Amino acid sequence: MTELQLSDAGPGTPAPLLSIDDLHVDIASRERTVHALDGISLDLAPGEALGVVGESGCGKTMTALSVLGLLPPGGAVTGGRILFDGQDLAAASAPTLQDVRGNTVGMVFQDPLTSLNPTMTIGAQVAEPLLLHREGIGRKEAWARAEEMLRLVGMPQPSERMKAYPHQLSGGMRQRVAIAMALVCEPKLLIADEPTTALDVTTQHQILELIDNLRRTLGMAMILVTHDLGVIANRVDRVAVMYAGKVAEQADVRDLFARPRHRYTEALFAALPERAAERGTELHTIPGLPPSLTVRPTGCRFAPRCLFATEECREREPELGPELAQELVPGSEASPGSETSLESEAPAHELVGAEHRFACFHPVPHGDAPEAQVVTPPPATATEPGEVLLELDALVKEFPLTGGPFARRRGTVSAVGGVSLTVRRGETFGMVGESGCGKTTLGRIVAGLEEPTAGTVRFDGRDLAGLSRTERRAHRRRIQLMFQDSTAAMDPRMRVGEILREPLVIQGVGTRADQERLTAGLLDAVGLPRGAVHRYPHEFSGGQRQRLGLARALTLSPDLVVADEPVSALDVSVQAQILNLMRELQHDRGLTYLFISHDLAVIRHLADTVGVMYLGKLVETGPAEQVYAAPLHPYTRGLLDTVNVPDPAVAAAGDREPLHGETPSAAKPPSGCRFRTRCPLAQDVCATTEPPVSTPNGAGHQVACHFPLAAPRLASRV
Amino acid sequence: MTGFLVKRFLQALVVLFLVSIIVFVLLHMLPGGPARAILGPKGTPQQITDFNHQQGYDRSLPTQYFMYVKRLFTGDLGDSYKLNSPVFELLKQRLPKTLLLTVLSTALAVVIAIPLGLLQAVRRGKASDYALTGLAFLLYATPVFFLGLIMIILFAQVIPIFPAEAPQGESIGELLKDFSGLVLPVVTMAFGIVAMFSRYMRSAVLDNLTEEYVRTAMAKGQSSRRIMVRHVLRNALIPLATLLGLYLPTLFSGALVVESMFNYPGMGLLFWNAAQGSDFPVLLGVTLVVGIATVVGSLLTDILYAVLDPRIRSVA
Repeated sequence: MTELQLSDAGPGTPAPLLSIDDLHVDIASRERTVHALDGISLDLAPGEALGVVGESGCGKTMTALSVLGLLPPGGAVTGGRILFDGQDLAAASAPTLQDVRGNTVGMVFQDPLTSLNPTMTIGAQVAEPLLLHREGIGRKEAWARAEEMLRLVGMPQPSERMKAYPHQLSGGMRQRVAIAMALVCEPKLLIADEPTTALDVTTQHQILELIDNLRRTLGMAMILVTHDLGVIANRVDRVAVMYAGKVAEQADVRDLFARPRHRYTEALFAALPERAAERGTELHTIPGLPPSLTVRPTGCRFAPRCLFATEECREREPELGPELAQELVPGSEASPGSETSLESEAPAHELVGAEHRFACFHPVPHGDAPEAQVVTPPPATATEPGEVLLELDALVKEFPLTGGPFARRRGTVSAVGGVSLTVRRGETFGMVGESGCGKTTLGRIVAGLEEPTAGTVRFDGRDLAGLSRTERRAHRRRIQLMFQDSTAAMDPRMRVGEILREPLVIQGVGTRADQERLTAGLLDAVGLPRGAVHRYPHEFSGGQRQRLGLARALTLSPDLVVADEPVSALDVSVQAQILNLMRELQHDRGLTYLFISHDLAVIRHLADTVGVMYLGKLVETGPAEQVYAAPLHPYTRGLLDTVNVPDPAVAAAGDREPLHGETPSAAKPPSGCRFRTRCPLAQDVCATTEPPVSTPNGAGHQVACHFPLAAPRLASRV
Repeated sequence: MTGFLVKRFLQALVVLFLVSIIVFVLLHMLPGGPARAILGPKGTPQQITDFNHQQGYDRSLPTQYFMYVKRLFTGDLGDSYKLNSPVFELLKQRLPKTLLLTVLSTALAVVIAIPLGLLQAVRRGKASDYALTGLAFLLYATPVFFLGLIMIILFAQVIPIFPAEAPQGESIGELLKDFSGLVLPVVTMAFGIVAMFSRYMRSAVLDNLTEEYVRTAMAKGQSSRRIMVRHVLRNALIPLATLLGLYLPTLFSGALVVESMFNYPGMGLLFWNAAQGSDFPVLLGVTLVVGIATVVGSLLTDILYAVLDPRIRSVA
């Protein structure tokens, strides 16, 4: 192997720009010390893009923060080196670090809303690194350069924006400012920690494109830290998969996605709804939870959750290394030689040790190519249409826009602008759209938490507006809500038993003993121990709390569950568990779901019928397979083309037409078709006339567009 | 910004109108009415009727209120029973002096409290933080009169470097000329406020230090000192502005103890003497001024807010 590496590392091989060597980081608090990083080694060549991916708590962010010495309070490097440009940053003094930060290494953080100083102008914040690091630069010159940088990151009217404050910009624009700040000194390395996680799909795409282009123009190296396999697949050269404070696997991006070797990577990919073989099937899940890192686990850290774990895995820790020669089957298609040749196709910055490496005793064998798991067009499942359960007719919800209790009304926000749809009993209606499209408001109206401004909600044949007070109270139990953040939706001072029993008490169902029996049954159904009734919500993990949220929603045996982004805050492996559970309970209890999400892949996996909302309008609705395979509305197609698919091959295909621009304000929606300002097909008529609903693809697949897309394109990969 | 100020000013006028109504009502709630208050328990019913007619107290309430407001606009707040002088004149003499005392001590307090709070926040959990916090609580818990006594004993008697009595000059200029006499009253008053302000400052800085924009600032390569001064300070001052505005009327009345203690010829002393002598027109005049101070205080807070926080500027 050594020889092989040597021959690979020819004279053209550049020295690494950044070399993290056996890095150990501890985070100490009063109660305990977490060994957040336990021997991380990573190399990065000049100009190379490395993705660091993993689930929450795996140490990916700590890795990024430790490079610049920005660890949180209590955090400290306890071992190892971080060599950047010949300097050991782990041992560097404060002035040395300050000289590197923002100068040769730029950093972009996750939340653009909070990572800018609210009381400083954009200009002052972007010019700041220049004033710090470029000696002799005047304020005037720094501002001119900052303005130029803003133009470079695609900020419209940069000279005006220089004087603006962060709150006057949209989330996407703020992230552009953050990028401008990180890049204004033209660093050699950009560290981006979940730079697009807080953004909408279309904004996310634009920001990632921007980073890509700037990286190429400026010849920067990049570390992209994310939990999103879709982002990683399309934006980096090489990927390191982290698990429980260690690197589990490291490889060229295409190699990794095509042939993952570590069992954790394999399981992670399998849990993606995008990779589920067909709609309606069970997702692969990873049982259990990552280990707590307060004590160093013995053996492989993934062993307790691994289906292939043996005694060896539990006792001995596997080393991160390339394929061992003796494990290779002679004559197998993937010999070390072929691996090398695969890598040589990759961009020209290959490093010593940049081959496919993994820390697993029982890796996924070669030839067992997981390509089979990549989406194949799902067959049209014949769901027997039930009776109509929920019917919305021209539903409108407007919120007044005022400056204060005594101020004049300044206008209205049109949150829902006339939505009509039907949901049949037993089906899952997936409502998809970007933030601010009105999907949550719609869900709240259906659940009876908001009164519609106009239009009717008919449930099981009855108009809800006509219900008396007592009828309405009785009706409430038939529709229940499930929230994105179940912690916030539960009283932190109530025990789980009380939380689950409360709806029964309010509705006066049964005796206390009956209620407790029902509660215990529900906990069984959602896979939680019965002892959970004595505990408080904060004692549960995110996934467990979502199970509780589901149990609470089901206490009153509702007909319809409105689930608002129920899996958006969860890691991929846990998301798969919850989605499977929801499907299972739907089957057992004959539930109907109104499933609201921004995640096209999740909706596709779960929903029978899909509705696409844009700026308060339902632009398209129809059977899930049809909408995804042959979208009729330009917005739907744009969304599908914008989403980051966790498969590098798709991005390489290059026939995608992602959406441009930003969603206009709902306080001043465009006339006619609300999508026209971003639509590639827009004509004069779109501005004057609201598009009628038509069904060019047959009944059931409706679109509100003057120029619906005619030819069904290739099946989408989402 | 200008529109915002005009709007806030108009709102302040409405509040002042309400203050005037409250003071007017208070005037009518004096036990036995103002006549009994002035003529004393020995006044005959005939004297009282005459007095009421003479003062217009036998007319309808709205008419009386109208007259009261009309007098307010001409600066007529009635006459002091004891000092034989119009209340307006008395206030005109005394108010600037109290303002001087309040402004000087507040400025001193702020100048001490801001760096102190910053220091405590930076040294959080270290010995110096605990020591300063302990001192702050001690000062906070000490009554002003006791603090004043200690100051007088220490700096006027044991080490006689400052006079124990405040200057008695007629104008501000004269007061300032005799500056050493101002030191003890100003310092005494400031010490009571410093404790509270520095506590607020400390927690505001600590809150801001956990904000992500601070991490961004660090990622730009700034030193901790620069981050404090350039980024954290302004954001941490926003909660302090609230406190300052709310505290202004309290300071005004807090001057009462200090003024009587150092025999400082301000409004507090006027109020103190008036209260002892049941000089109601003076008491009401001072109440009106404190009411105005409250309104001005909140106006000041809003202006400070708008100056410090661009988000508030654009909402308003």
